[in-house]
Parts: sequence; structure tokens; C-alpha cells
Amino acid sequence: MIWFLLIVSTVVLFIGYLTAISSKDLIRLLISLELMFGSVFLALIPLFMTMPLSAFGIAVITIFTSSSELLILIVAIMLTDKKYRTISIDTVSVGGDTID
Amino acid sequence: MQEIMAKDMDYLVLALGIATVLFACGVLLTKDNLYAALYMSATLILVATMYTVYGIHSVFVLITFIFVGAIGIITIALAATYRFIPARKVNIYWIIPIAIVTAIMAYTYYLYAYQMSATIVRGCDLTTFPAIYLLMVVFLVSLMALLMLSAIKLVRGEGS
Repeated sequence: MIWFLLIVSTVVLFIGYLTAISSKDLIRLLISLELMFGSVFLALIPLFMTMPLSAFGIAVITIFTSSSELLILIVAIMLTDKKYRTISIDTVSVGGDTID
Repeated sequence: MQEIMAKDMDYLVLALGIATVLFACGVLLTKDNLYAALYMSATLILVATMYTVYGIHSVFVLITFIFVGAIGIITIALAATYRFIPARKVNIYWIIPIAIVTAIMAYTYYLYAYQMSATIVRGCDLTTFPAIYLLMVVFLVSLMALLMLSAIKLVRGEGS
């Protein structure tokens, strides 16, 4: 059933992609990123069949780093709302700060 | 006996996989952010459940506690705060990177997916985890704590 796991992982990844590209607000973008990380966790299962300890190490690193990344994004959303009074994706589509 | 168990495991993975895809579709199709966050949490719990099917309980605990328990709940709280229905806007050029990723993944899966067989993974928990990895876990937890403190400082600094 490894092939089935990989197909489910791919489908979830593409649903995450579709959600990300069709999102109009930052919350939906955050949700889509979490969904993509979920698909990565699913794709890690086959690695446990061949190299369990290495796979466990990779899983631990992935879980912690992705959580940290999402934490930063959550703070960024809060700061964006504080600064611009909106969480629309158009406020960040140009990217970065302006130089005075 | 072992064959029957393997067959039951296959059915379980099949059911969990279908449920995962359905909940993920819920994230895409719902217009309310709160429901999208709830569907996303359910999807992640189902992904974690797949790990328990193969006997990898420690990763189930990590995903459920850290990813769903901490980050997922904050997302639900945020989604409940900003609960409005946005209109959809899709740029057609996003199809190009999606097509490239699809091609790479399809080729990789074609090469490797049939070479492996599903088994219950044994001897993979925190007790058999090498001590060097435990040090890494301590560092990663410290990183998260520092990030949270930095975030609090940043938000307070913006406020004053």
C-alpha cells in the first residue's frame, strides 16, 4: 500500500497548492501551508520501512522546523493586521518593506 | 494469519487515505476560514493516525501534540477571529510550477514506490532513539521557545 500512501500524499499536496494559489487572505495561506506539511509527513512513512531511525530523526526535525516556521507566519499575520488593518494577501504580494 | 492481518491493515490505510483526501477537499471547498482550519486539523490527525497503523506511535504523538495541538489550535483561534468569506482569485500561471512538480513526483514514485513493501515498523520510539538525537530535540525545543519569546517581544515593540 506504499503506492496508495504516496498518491494520497500527492493529492493532499496539490489540494494545499490549490488552496494557497486561490487564497485571498493570509489565514487561508497559513492553513494551506499546514496542509502541505501534512502531505510531507505522509510521504515520510515509506522511509520508515527502510531506515526507521534516520526517518525518525528526519520526522522530528521536520515537525519542529515546520512548527517554528508556522509560528513565525502566525506572528507575521498578527503584525500585518496591526500595521495595515487587513489580512488580505494583496498587502504582502509586493513583498518586503519599503526603503525611505 | 499474518496475511489476514496485512489485508486488514491495507483496508485501514485505504479508509484513512480516502478520509484524509475528503477532509483536505473540505479545506479547499469551504468558504469559511474557521471550518477550513477545523478540516485541516482533522486531516493532520488522520495523517498522524496512519503512522499508528504502521506502529510508529512516537511520530503520532509528536504530530498530534506539536502540530495539531499547538500550531493547529492557534490557527483555529486566528481563523475564528478573522472569520470572513473571501472571494476566490486564481492566477493561471501557477499551473506551470504545479505541472513541473507533478512530473517530478510522478517519475520518482514510478521509480521507487513498487520497490518497497509495507510492514509494521518496530524498534522506533524515543527509548531506542540515539542520545545525540535527543540533544538535537532539546536544541529544537529551545529554538521554538526562543522564537516564541522573540515573537512576544516583536508584538510588544510594535504596540508601544
